[in-house]
Amino acid sequence: MKLRDKEKDVIALLSEAQRESKHNYITEEKLKLIAQEAGLSYSEVYGVATFYSLFSLKPRGEYIIRVCDSGPCHLMGSRSIFEVLEEELKIKVGETTPDGKFTLEETSCLGICDEAPAMMINEKVYGNLTPQEIKKILKRLREKKW
Amino acid sequence: MNTVNITIDEKPIKAEKGSTIMEAALANGIKIPHLCYQKGLSIAGACRVCLVKIKGRPGMTASCTTEVAEGMEVTSTDEELNEMRRLIVELILSEHEHNCLVCENNGQCDLQDLAYELGIDKIRFPVNKSVEPIEDSSEVILRDPNRCILCGRCVRACAELTVQKVLDFAARGSKTYIIAGLDQPLVQTDCVSCGACVQACPTGALTEKLARFQGRSWEFRKVQTTCPYCGVGCQLKLNIKDDKIVKVYGVEDGPDNKGHLCVKGRFGFDYVHHEDRLISPLIKRNGKFEKASWDEALNLIVTKFKELKNKYGSDALAGLSSAKCTNEENYLFQKLIRACFGTNNVDHCARLCHASTVAGLARAFGSGAMTNSIREFEKADVILITGSNTTETHPVIGDYLKHLATYNGTELIVVDPRAIELIEYAKIWLRQKSGTDVAWINGLMNVIISEGLYDKEFVENRTENFDKFKKVVSKYTPEKVEEITGISKEKLVAAARMYGKADKGSIIFAMGITQHTTGTDNVLSLANLAMLCGNVGREGTGVNPLRGQNNVQGACDMGALPNVYPGYQSVSDEQAKEKFEKAWGAKLSPKVGLTVVEIMDAASKGKIKGLYIMGENPMLSDPNLNHVREGLRNLDFLVVQDIFLTQTAELADVVLPGVSFAEKDGTFTNTGRRIQLLHKAIPNIGDSRDDWKIITEISERMGYPMVYRSPAEVMDEIASLTPIYGGVHFDRLEGQGLQWPCPSREHPGTPYLHKDKFTRGKGLFTPVDYIPPAELPDEEYPFLLSTGRILYHFHTGSLSRRSKPLDSIAPEGFLEINPQDAEKLKVKDNDWLRVSSRRGKVEVKAKITDRVDKGVVFMTFHFAESAANLLTNDALDPVAKIPEYKVSAVKIEASDYIDS
Amino acid sequence: MVKELKSPVRIVLENCGKINPESIEEYIAQGGYKAVNRVLQEMKPEEVINEIKASGLQGRGGAAFPTGLKWEFTSRAKDTPRYIICNADEGEPGTFKDRPILEGDPHKIIEGMIIAGYAVGAHYGYIYIRGEYILSINRFQKALEQAEEHRFLGEDILESGFNFQIEIHQGAGSYVCGEETALMDSIEGKRGNPRFKPPFPPSSGLWKKPTVINNVETLANIAPIILKGADWFRGFGTKECPGTKVYAVSGHVKEVGVVEAPMGITLRKIINEYAGGMRQGKFKMAQVGGTAGAILGEDMLDVSLDYASLKRKGLVLGSGAILVMDETTCCVDMLKCFLNFFKRECCGKCVPGRIGTEKLLEITTSISQGKGKEDDIDLILQTAKVMQKASLCALGQSPILPISTILKYFKEEFIEHIKGRCPTGVCKI
Ligand SMILES: Cc1cc2nc3c(=O)[nH]c(=O)nc-3n(C[C@H](O)[C@H](O)[C@H](O)COP(=O)(O)O)c2cc1C
Ligand code: SF4
Ligand code: FES
Repeated sequence: MKLRDKEKDVIALLSEAQRESKHNYITEEKLKLIAQEAGLSYSEVYGVATFYSLFSLKPRGEYIIRVCDSGPCHLMGSRSIFEVLEEELKIKVGETTPDGKFTLEETSCLGICDEAPAMMINEKVYGNLTPQEIKKILKRLREKKW
Repeated sequence: MNTVNITIDEKPIKAEKGSTIMEAALANGIKIPHLCYQKGLSIAGACRVCLVKIKGRPGMTASCTTEVAEGMEVTSTDEELNEMRRLIVELILSEHEHNCLVCENNGQCDLQDLAYELGIDKIRFPVNKSVEPIEDSSEVILRDPNRCILCGRCVRACAELTVQKVLDFAARGSKTYIIAGLDQPLVQTDCVSCGACVQACPTGALTEKLARFQGRSWEFRKVQTTCPYCGVGCQLKLNIKDDKIVKVYGVEDGPDNKGHLCVKGRFGFDYVHHEDRLISPLIKRNGKFEKASWDEALNLIVTKFKELKNKYGSDALAGLSSAKCTNEENYLFQKLIRACFGTNNVDHCARLCHASTVAGLARAFGSGAMTNSIREFEKADVILITGSNTTETHPVIGDYLKHLATYNGTELIVVDPRAIELIEYAKIWLRQKSGTDVAWINGLMNVIISEGLYDKEFVENRTENFDKFKKVVSKYTPEKVEEITGISKEKLVAAARMYGKADKGSIIFAMGITQHTTGTDNVLSLANLAMLCGNVGREGTGVNPLRGQNNVQGACDMGALPNVYPGYQSVSDEQAKEKFEKAWGAKLSPKVGLTVVEIMDAASKGKIKGLYIMGENPMLSDPNLNHVREGLRNLDFLVVQDIFLTQTAELADVVLPGVSFAEKDGTFTNTGRRIQLLHKAIPNIGDSRDDWKIITEISERMGYPMVYRSPAEVMDEIASLTPIYGGVHFDRLEGQGLQWPCPSREHPGTPYLHKDKFTRGKGLFTPVDYIPPAELPDEEYPFLLSTGRILYHFHTGSLSRRSKPLDSIAPEGFLEINPQDAEKLKVKDNDWLRVSSRRGKVEVKAKITDRVDKGVVFMTFHFAESAANLLTNDALDPVAKIPEYKVSAVKIEASDYIDS
Repeated sequence: MVKELKSPVRIVLENCGKINPESIEEYIAQGGYKAVNRVLQEMKPEEVINEIKASGLQGRGGAAFPTGLKWEFTSRAKDTPRYIICNADEGEPGTFKDRPILEGDPHKIIEGMIIAGYAVGAHYGYIYIRGEYILSINRFQKALEQAEEHRFLGEDILESGFNFQIEIHQGAGSYVCGEETALMDSIEGKRGNPRFKPPFPPSSGLWKKPTVINNVETLANIAPIILKGADWFRGFGTKECPGTKVYAVSGHVKEVGVVEAPMGITLRKIINEYAGGMRQGKFKMAQVGGTAGAILGEDMLDVSLDYASLKRKGLVLGSGAILVMDETTCCVDMLKCFLNFFKRECCGKCVPGRIGTEKLLEITTSISQGKGKEDDIDLILQTAKVMQKASLCALGQSPILPISTILKYFKEEFIEHIKGRCPTGVCKI
């Protein structure tokens, strides 16, 4: 008994394609392949891929820093988290560092409001952030090799 | 009809059950404001300006998404609703700077109208001033994101009408925008330039590129008429400024197109105003054409034809009528040839496309036309499509089939040697070897009979000759069929079950079936198949030949055929002859005349001396062109009447300028037997004359006066002599037209034939055996050549190649060749090739594609520069005399031809 | 793991933190899957539905629709197959009450889904878990495998002849996909646009088939109700809203986290008794129900936090999120934050939603910058009102609630901004 063809679940296919890419994005070739596999037109796949904020069609950094700016985190000081990050990384929200290491993004509530202000870097959650804490995290990631 | 009673703004209304408030309101002339709703498309419920109040329900409800219910009381406008609508429209007006002053669609914009109706005099919100570039890569469509209100009508039109799904929404929230393909310029996508999106757009976001700056909506005169291209017979609205057609819309209530059009119908009209139009008669003197007056030209023609008739007898004259001309013109033309010239040597190019259909279906059922209506396809459970590349040759029907397969659950079976677009929508695709149709059809029936899937009751009560037929079919086991056709037994059986088990099975075919030396056999086989499963005489079933040209059905109906008078009344039937002799006041020949190819043949043998061709171009359309040229050159006298100096006209002694569809009144009969009106939209170009008047002029000068005041009067005469057109009169044709048979004034027309009884009484099963094509590949000519059409051109291109957008999209011919063959021949895409057959050779560019199988190549016949018919075989079907365009043997070599 | 405050009752959270969530044995040892067993062996589908109806359980996803009725409608729909969906998209800001269940007691959700499937005659279930909940996804996947091994999922479950299968669908970053119909489109592999209703999911849901969609917390209540009975369940909470609620408390309180309490507990009690009171400073306001919820001022500290009581006041309990704010908080700045969320997360399909959210944010931003006009406050209100009436889905219909309530209490602060001064000094003017 099978619920449906896994192969045809576009969103799962897109996630997989993105996971496989070193630069955390979905290439045009992949989009085309997925369209064929899922029996969708190019525009449909493009439409789906650009709807969901976890997907990107442009190359991003090795680490994607997603800082929450919804109510609880905002209240607990997420603005200053952005400031520290922008200063440390020397990029603005939405940009990637020239070395291709970090991308900074603003996100809606991550469901970890009990640790506000919070952020995620790739699949890992970081809560109760302070400027010092952030500097430490960045240092650790910078030292990590590819 | 199942109705419920509702009130809208206190007005009592009977609404169709299951319809929405919006539909009920519009059907009753109540205009509820709307932007995202469009009749014929699915519902989005996105713009929210259609909100209404329903008594007893809290808040407001979108009228486009809400079904009517008995006793519903709807308020469609009040101050609160208007205030809400005003705010919404202000929001839309603040999303971009909608600068109406410089908008192409100023005056023809739902948003502008709505803002005005709501009395909006300011926008309370900050207006976004950023400007995005206009996308202008398409030959025909301009996309201006700055005027887009994201109603999604274009997206739905593309997905649901054309089923191309080129357009969609991208991103989300306030960043949402419309993309084509992978956010590409239109030309890089699968866009087929049908323009359905343009027609759907309520603002100026999508406009016709060529109409830009050509006129404002309020300057246009709008004339409804019938499309001059293919046999679908789409209803068009011409928008005319200063007697020039500027743009074209599909007519929403068009009975068969429902507003939809293809690229030719919507954008291919500019040939009407092309500088090549013939504007005065021409007489060839010393091998060169010179302008002449009408009197001069007509007198010369009459003198010549009289002379030839006196010297060689009536049968030395012949006429080729035209499937592009109206019924009235065809009627008069054959009347001229028969009653005035005194011969039955009249034919037209239906000979080359569907003569075998007419012969086959007349024999099996008694009527040689589509048994059912176009819009009945949605009632079918299964549709078998064979030998029809529908999406290119009858695009509006092709799109409809794609729609039905995608949204209606209709199952398609495609049987075609080429990987045509429809296979992507088909449940089953059988790829037969070209020319093996009788074998696979017999194979299907073999399975259907052996599995007991056939309609025994129908066979018993409504048909004859079943047993003899069954015996022949029993030889075609799936194994044997696989051997002949290359179709695997499993697939054959699957297809047989699918069609055999369907409650309503419909068959569609076109020239892939008919253009064979076994064309009539092929058609008879399909007729057998339909009868076997009881699929005749019911809605949504039938055997449905798609006729190629706009009026090929009508030209046949009008008797532009050598063996029948109008309405398929045989020339060898004494009674019929008497009837027409009496009506026409002339002695008629009892001898069946010559067909197109026979006329050419007779001309080259010196038996035909004088030929009158109206609106045909045999110098591109006929098989074995070298032979045709020889024939035409050998004539003593050739008259060609056309709107352009075609390849054929160039060989003429006298050329007469006729007029285009836009300059005509009259009727066309579409492939669904629907007789529809043309309305004269612009004055004749130059000194050209109405074709019907030219015919009567010649006739009168030859001493056989034909007097009519208008095409309508001609139709009255047709009605009086042609039972199937008996009730057809112009005053009944506005809007929906009429489908023949329509025997009397009171008769509503006939959507499908053979209801309780076949036209011939019982349906006749004909046992048919497989016979191979006349010429098959061999060592010297190792490839099988098939020919056909493409989306962007029509027939010999005399019209479509003179349309700038069409010819820019598809400027040249090509030869489709399989990648494996290409590799063997060391051929790359766009390399020049020399293709030759026993009859001639052409130079053409290669297009490498697996649409064609190994060993098979395909060419279109639209292009004079690479005329496929120099190669084709003029071997004929013995019954219908249709040539075998679909199979001939060729060889292919690299060419040193240089692109000029 | 999510911090749990000292809950006064534990129905939904009973196993959380107590058992190893990756061990089905431990779950079974706590009486797990007994309810499935009972339902399959002893009860007819109608009886299950009647029991849930009798319990008075209302959907915990926010809309509070009676769960038993939803199941009944679905069970009576003609079409098949039918589907069960568990909504684990948890995206409402301030809401983190489903996560402890997903991470801490996944089998309880599976149990609820199986029972729902049996009750309505569905054989397929989907759980839509937001893509950011990586741990939840992994734990749930493991739980599914274990349940299959133990034959609680698959064919002929416990030799009852009933088949049921569950598949995880991961979200990909979109709040609006928590809206039930958008969620279905998303499972179908489309853009997550809400559909217009009717038709409602019980008659036309996933792939246009009859579908039950329930929140995680709702489904976690099912097994306890089956085992202990509707009457027992009604022993908690209020008459109109029986049972407990998991409240997620965040903001300027000493202890943040989730607390399970009987329906109808007051805000004051939650803040003072469970969250340890205000962190420092004085209470200014709280937003209840997430960003789409209302702002409650001091005068509302004693209102009963249940669906019915709040509804009577024109307010909502929503997901049960409680964001507590002290006097250092700037109203304009917070409203801007709320509106930014709506703008970013709205799908863009309908005009009021798409452009309305954008313009609300634009105008509020200009107020926060001291560039506002007196009329702006009116325009915000009017726009939000039209959005409430005209938007296609609840997302666009929601901004009116935070806007109207914040203006009810703190209009003056907005006017101050327009005059060029932020009283709390948060906004840089
Ligand atoms: C914008 C929006 C977001 C929503 N997000 C969620 C969500 O994340 N989780 C949830 O359970 N329900 C969410 N809902 C409510 C669902 O639409 C639906 O009411 C719920 O899944 C029904 O389950 P219940 O009856 O068990 O509460 C959301 C609704 C809206 C309008
Ligand atoms: S309010 Fe409209 S635009 Fe916003 S999420 Fe709902 S449907 Fe989409
Ligand atoms: S017409 Fe109904 S919402 Fe647009």
